Amino acid sequence: MTRVALITGAGRGLGKVLATFLAGQGYSVIITSRTAMELEEVAHSIRNLGARVEAVPGDITDPGHRSRLLGETNAMGGVFLLLNNAFDLGETPRPELASASLDSFRSTLETNLVAPLALIQEALPQLESTKGLIVNITSDASQAGYLRWGIYGSSKAALDLVTKTLAVELKPRNISVVSVDPGDMRTRMQQDAFPDEDLSNRPMPEVTLPFWAWLSGQDPQRITGMRYQAQGTLWEVPA
Amino acid sequence: MRRHELLFERPTSLFASTPPEMREQSRDDVRLMVSTEEGNTHHAFVELPSLLEMGDLLVVNESATLAASLPAMSRLGNVRLNLSTRFSDNLWLAEPRWSPGRPGPLPVDEGEILQIGDHRATLLKQFPGIPRLWFTHLDTSATILMSNYGEPIHCSYTSAYPMSFYQTLFSYFPGSVEMPSAARPFTPRVRDMLLARGIGIAGIILHSGVSSLEIEDETVEHQVLYPEIFSVPEATAHAVNATHARGGRVIAVGTTVVRALETAWTPDGLRACAGTTSRYVNPSNGVHAVDGLLTGLHDPVTSHLAMLSTIGGLGRLKSAYAEAIEHRYLWHEFGDSHLIWRQPPN
Repeated sequence: MTRVALITGAGRGLGKVLATFLAGQGYSVIITSRTAMELEEVAHSIRNLGARVEAVPGDITDPGHRSRLLGETNAMGGVFLLLNNAFDLGETPRPELASASLDSFRSTLETNLVAPLALIQEALPQLESTKGLIVNITSDASQAGYLRWGIYGSSKAALDLVTKTLAVELKPRNISVVSVDPGDMRTRMQQDAFPDEDLSNRPMPEVTLPFWAWLSGQDPQRITGMRYQAQGTLWEVPA
Repeated sequence: MRRHELLFERPTSLFASTPPEMREQSRDDVRLMVSTEEGNTHHAFVELPSLLEMGDLLVVNESATLAASLPAMSRLGNVRLNLSTRFSDNLWLAEPRWSPGRPGPLPVDEGEILQIGDHRATLLKQFPGIPRLWFTHLDTSATILMSNYGEPIHCSYTSAYPMSFYQTLFSYFPGSVEMPSAARPFTPRVRDMLLARGIGIAGIILHSGVSSLEIEDETVEHQVLYPEIFSVPEATAHAVNATHARGGRVIAVGTTVVRALETAWTPDGLRACAGTTSRYVNPSNGVHAVDGLLTGLHDPVTSHLAMLSTIGGLGRLKSAYAEAIEHRYLWHEFGDSHLIWRQPPN
């Protein structure tokens, strides 16, 4: 049976690369982002591969949009792979926590933490029937305490804990959850975060393809709760 | 480390083109050079047990070799598709080649379809940093393709022999596409002599992919390795730690074993560990888990040589290879053996 993947933030960068790669492996993909034009281009190039794709532009903090996405995945047989990749970097230039706008902080948490959990909650019946896998995209900023990365980093740190907790809570329902840190890449996100830096020596998001190839071949229930570095040298399967 | 430091010349007459069994000899009828601080000594492989001490531990790779080279039809004519690393039954890293002796890269595009019998292999994307390798989607399980059409991957300097020639005494778990050949000379009699002498044998699994080519970057450490599936079981981690605790030496049989053990190494000793590793052992990260490496003779400017120079030091490696050429040792998977002991830590 064809596996169905739902990928948020799929208009460019990592999400776009992932959607295309999964489609090439025979997945049916539902892609979403706020940028309708970019999203339609991604959908077009995937259709050219002969794969089934639905592009649904919108904002994942909007409950109506989330329901539309899951309606699409349901119509395709139920989501097997839910990739929470969309994010909000927060204010730019990135502020120190001492002077950060609290409204902007709330808005970042809404996109990076609350919306992914809302999408997961609503997808649970489908994920249960497919014995599916949730992938939450995280960052080394969630662990490091880098200067001026407190807003984004704390949202990702909380998302990491959501991953670990859900892994325990959803195990009896055969639903699996992992966190994946894709590492430094040359993406729009990184350029927004480092507007004055030359990122041309950073790898393109394709550098993570070996990891995604590996992940798609794993039994989700054996790796649930793990946090992986896609550009690391070890991807461990617990005993 | 600079690229030219791993460069050397040896005549192609030193390539072992046939296995010793085809020369009316036994598998263990190969030579063994031992490299230590004092220099190099020359032995028969069957002397290995007498060169080790009671309490030493050999760690072998228990991966068996698959018939991973598939004939394929393409718009370029008849080509070969060599499978390399399994991600799932239908998704592999694979290398399209013109023929066994003629590597690529082939002028193929993303989405290109190769026909294998009635089945299709679709080249999805190139591996980042290694453009000759492609993520390849198969419309049926690789196991079926290999059992119907596969033959062993072999190089231009040898013919394809029956599969049994590509298995070792320790080949229990199918998954390698090229033979982890360091253990090839081991015969039951050598194993029994080792065990009788109180030398232990423990196993890991690392499913070896297609062999790497020459390092192209000027800086050896910049070479990209692709991931390989491995497993260091609890019993082996324990055996390695116990050997070190009582002052014994751990000898990796093959470069794959070094990679697996180094991946499982922690400052508190080895731990059981399984998954996928792309660890590259080179002078920048060093070796911690092994005291010696028993291996074959390797090509110039390869990641294997970077590992050997990390273990033995570049000077010891250079002197060993010069003597190997002088004494006409045979290179490659059907050739002679080399035991290189670790240089004392600085």
